[in-house]
Amino acid sequence: MTPEPHPGSTALVPLALVVNGDAVRVAVPAERTLLELLRYDLGLTGSKQGCDKGDCGACTVLLDGEPVLACITLAVDADGRGVETVESLAKGQKLHPVQTAVVNHGAAQCGFCTPGMLMSAKHLLDGSRTPTREDVKQALSGNLCRCTGYTKILDAVEAAAREMAEARGGD
Amino acid sequence: MLPLPAFEWVSPGSLDELVRALGESPGESLLLAGGTDLLPNMKHGLFAPRRVIGLRRVRELRGIAETPAGGLVIGGGAPLDRVATDPRVMARYPALARAAGLVASPQIRRMGTIGGNLCLETRCVYYNQTAFWRGALGGCLKKDGPTCFVVPQGRRCVAAMSADTPAPLIAYGASVELVSVRGTRTLPVAKLFAGDGVKNNVRAADEVLTKVELPPPAERLFSAYEKVRSRAAIDFPLLSIAAAAVLDAGGHVVELTVVVGALGALPRVVRGLEITRAAPLSREAIDLVAEAAHTQCNPLSSLGAEDWRKDIVAPVVRRALAGLAPSRIAG
Amino acid sequence: MATDDEPHPPWRIGTRAPNIRSFDAVTGRQRYADDLTFPGMLHAKLVRSPHPHARIRSIDTREALALPGVHAVVTGKDMPVKYGIIPWTQDEYPLALDKALFVGDAVACVAAIDEACAARAAAAVHVDWEVLPSVIEPEAALAPDAPRLHEGHKHGNITKSVQLSFGDVEGEFAASAAIVEGDYFFEGTTHGALEPHCAIGIWEPQGVLTVISSTQVAHYLHRELSRVLGVPYDRVRVIQPPIGGAFGGKSEPFDLEFCVAKLAMVTGRPVKLLYTREEVFYAHRGRHPMKMHFRLGATADGRLTACDAKTLIDGGAYASFGLVTAYYSGQLVTAPLRLGAYRLDSTRVYTNKPACGPKRGHGSVQPRFAFEVSLDKLADRLGMDPIELRRKNVLEAGERTVNEFIIKSIGFRECLDRVEQASGWKEKRGKLPFGRGVGVAGSFYISGTNYPIYPNAMPQSAVQLKVDRSGRVTVFCGLSEMGQGADAMLALIVSEELGVDLEAIRVLTGDTDLTPVDLGGYSSRTTMMAGNACLRGARDLGTRIRAVVARKWECPARRVALAGGFATDREDTARRIEIGEAFRLAEAELGALAAVGSYDTPKDVHGDYRGGTIGASPAYSFTAHVAEVSVDLETGVPKVEMIWAAHDAGKPLNPMLVEGQIEGSAYMGYAEAILEEHLVRPDGLHRGPSLLDYRMPTSLDTPHVHSMLVETADPEGPYGAKEAGEGPLHSTIPAIANAIFDAVGVRIDTLPFTAGKLLRAMREQREKGGG
Repeated sequence: MTPEPHPGSTALVPLALVVNGDAVRVAVPAERTLLELLRYDLGLTGSKQGCDKGDCGACTVLLDGEPVLACITLAVDADGRGVETVESLAKGQKLHPVQTAVVNHGAAQCGFCTPGMLMSAKHLLDGSRTPTREDVKQALSGNLCRCTGYTKILDAVEAAAREMAEARGGD
Repeated sequence: MLPLPAFEWVSPGSLDELVRALGESPGESLLLAGGTDLLPNMKHGLFAPRRVIGLRRVRELRGIAETPAGGLVIGGGAPLDRVATDPRVMARYPALARAAGLVASPQIRRMGTIGGNLCLETRCVYYNQTAFWRGALGGCLKKDGPTCFVVPQGRRCVAAMSADTPAPLIAYGASVELVSVRGTRTLPVAKLFAGDGVKNNVRAADEVLTKVELPPPAERLFSAYEKVRSRAAIDFPLLSIAAAAVLDAGGHVVELTVVVGALGALPRVVRGLEITRAAPLSREAIDLVAEAAHTQCNPLSSLGAEDWRKDIVAPVVRRALAGLAPSRIAG
Repeated sequence: MATDDEPHPPWRIGTRAPNIRSFDAVTGRQRYADDLTFPGMLHAKLVRSPHPHARIRSIDTREALALPGVHAVVTGKDMPVKYGIIPWTQDEYPLALDKALFVGDAVACVAAIDEACAARAAAAVHVDWEVLPSVIEPEAALAPDAPRLHEGHKHGNITKSVQLSFGDVEGEFAASAAIVEGDYFFEGTTHGALEPHCAIGIWEPQGVLTVISSTQVAHYLHRELSRVLGVPYDRVRVIQPPIGGAFGGKSEPFDLEFCVAKLAMVTGRPVKLLYTREEVFYAHRGRHPMKMHFRLGATADGRLTACDAKTLIDGGAYASFGLVTAYYSGQLVTAPLRLGAYRLDSTRVYTNKPACGPKRGHGSVQPRFAFEVSLDKLADRLGMDPIELRRKNVLEAGERTVNEFIIKSIGFRECLDRVEQASGWKEKRGKLPFGRGVGVAGSFYISGTNYPIYPNAMPQSAVQLKVDRSGRVTVFCGLSEMGQGADAMLALIVSEELGVDLEAIRVLTGDTDLTPVDLGGYSSRTTMMAGNACLRGARDLGTRIRAVVARKWECPARRVALAGGFATDREDTARRIEIGEAFRLAEAELGALAAVGSYDTPKDVHGDYRGGTIGASPAYSFTAHVAEVSVDLETGVPKVEMIWAAHDAGKPLNPMLVEGQIEGSAYMGYAEAILEEHLVRPDGLHRGPSLLDYRMPTSLDTPHVHSMLVETADPEGPYGAKEAGEGPLHSTIPAIANAIFDAVGVRIDTLPFTAGKLLRAMREQREKGGG
């Protein structure tokens, strides 16, 4: 049922991108998705595949700082750009405040949506100093969670925002 | 995993390179902007182009700029999120900002572009399915089969125009620019669309939608956008309504436009609204407009829930008209 | 022993400790099945039937096998042994042998060098089909001339039919002042776990088969793999890695597990198969569509007299847990309220659709909807507050239900009080503006099934514990962690009993080579059963360690407490040693330190009639919800504004994780009430097997759930704990239904409560009222 490949179209395309701060050079077939590149070529399995067509948000990564769905992003279209995945959030032994908040609020159950959810949350927290609960709901509305009913996730992101504001010295 | 079919990747660095690449193999190439429509469709086996031409590096498609007259030109490659949050768009064309801001999900709004949204594939429950599913069905009129399951005796595909931005753009009288090796043409957005769900726009295979131009808002322009969907995010519209009204200083209607999407292949401009002219947009006038829309709009089973969607045309139109927001030129 | 019953005051139980697994989850380090890869691994793809009912004349695999990169193709003939989770109703082949029974039924499987190649090869497998007439509607399945799905099955298209009667049903109805009677329809729904099913088969040359699978039931899979593939029971290993949600959708063996195993055996290479999201919808085993007819009566003062329930259950193509479903659909409405008499008549039929099975609240969510809405109607008829009507009939601890289940602890009355107060019920019911309303519902659920799925006299759950001189404790258990916090529960109990910090505890679960048998993560059994097993093992170890410390201190053992990282003299708290030191003393005196614990259920909690064991449980949880709903009067769109959920989970071992279960359950109930429908079209095609068309709520849709814990001390549960994972879902749906009635005065007795149904009902009511 899958359309047949066109003969001669499987040439590899060389790419240079920055993944979690590391320069990566790799050659992939044009039809490789960014999610496949991350998970199967680079071994960065933190980003998840839940639907593989842009409906669930489990594969959310930051591309040049913006949250995108890696399952419907071509790897070749990430050439020359910067990718951040969940694996980049913790610095050494230090968890990102939103990671700590998710742990402390019981906001991860099965954990499958968590990496994508965290990347959407990080983007929100990077850009907004004091998001309201409605802001948080909006920012996470492209990430389905099936376990938590969202309540504890929203609590965790709000708590992280407060903590980050305090760390910056008020506001 | 839903494997993508193989293709050749072309990533032109300028508009000139792009139109030449497109001109070389127009029937065999598809354009990829955000990919949020094309790639799921390719994963479903709906398209298997020989070439995919990426638009990301084409600088000419980016950006939002002012026209000397006070309108805006939005590059075809401008992300929907950018359109939704641009202060000038929000101030002058609030219905467009709202429509762009209600597309799918935050991620998809950052990936998807206004050009891509205008050229969104039509949608239908018999079409937007996997290759396996469509094979089990035996194909439909739009792809691989002789039969339309929505209009069983129909000979023309009625898959729905499901994008959010066309209705407000039509209401604002916006136009689009299409460029190819053959030249450049400009069309009103309303004329971009064609009444065939198989391909509901007139963009030729060698053309690229380079920009959207919004005329300067009239004084006392008021507009609104209402979207009905099952889920508050990650959903296409089941019904979308844009309204734009120009009122005179006394609050009398100078011009009223109501555009309805998510019906058939075409966005529908509600006819006969001249009756509202030179009178205030009273409760009675709004009821008349709502009744006209209700009569003229017939949602189809291509998106399901057609009886309910028909029932709510009038109340949603009323809601849009009640929520008209002013364009603020100084924004 | 008496002094050992409470070795020390609780120090860990009841605290809001983080889930020990969540550190891996937030860093992306948690490795789910598809995150694992092995050298030389092949990828497999299933070939599925495009017909709802068709005979397989032949399968031609030659073209597929000839493709470069393809290593093997297997078909039904390679595994011609029936399996099924219930030993008496095994009716599935790993790959359909003679007939495919629904669109999506798997008939062949290919293994190739990568997924894309496997997909091409799957498309090159040619099946010669003889299309047969199909049956989609359950009533049609009952017709004498209906096409039969399972030709050898002696009851036609009936999987199971159950008729039971308790008390004098007609006599009680005759004594009733009011009887409400109505038809209810619960559309099917599916689990929607975010991780698609994935399995990896590994064949080791010495004859050992390993299957790594996202399963909730590693033990049952272990048994079935051995039996179907003919590999000795002692040479099969099943590993369950962390799984990305399950909700019942991964609680029986599936085609993919047999296929990766067989293909690994054929090729000698590891083989992985990851379902596409579409395939997850075909695997399904979700909530059964049920057509229910309920009669419920009460006396004028609100005593519930009799309930008469007749239910037709649409089972889909295979039996799955259907035998149990048929019983649960009738047996599990008999608490928390006392019924004078009860009659049930439930029939599950086969249809040519994806098989239904257990989804969170297996079998009982649907009749609970019918029952609680009936109660609301009854309250309306009697002119009573629906909470008062419930209060008048609440069972007491120690009482037996009308169908003879014994209720050892019950906090339902307090659940009602809590939701009544928190929601402002008295100020709201019947008093909010038209278009807005509140509704109440209650429910109960089992904490595990009293009997295992296959009859045996062995424990339902067991653990092993290892302590060593490092200060570390390792606990091994066959339970299934799937996000609910089962591993964290074990760690909590070990920490409580042995005094060690959570960081010093390793939990190893879900590996049939390394862990003692636990029957799996279903029926809300884990805290009750694995928790009790762990408690026993840990207490045994603790007793020995305390004795050693006591000998050293020359004091009675009862004075030694293990808590907070220390062994402490309870009468001279200045005397204490670090817990690791206590372990070293014990290891020095006693040698290697290990313990086992196991749990089996009490056998005196149910009646001795046929079927009386199904629905019997060591303990029952109780729930009450109030929902507040507004309805858009012009469009019919319902909006659930808020849900107050009070749940009696006995003693909550970790309140934070219990709240998570309540909130997740209420969310899922909300989703089933308002958005989700697992629909199969009349032509047998799934309506839309994707997460775009099967609409699970987003953060913007989901109402806030205010969860409240009602504590009871259950005599059977570990520390008094009961289940929390499934019970709280039941009340949500009828609470919303009843709130809609309070808001706009119409009853929507079919799920889901769509805007279209509401708008129509409101219009009909206006026309009736106006006419």
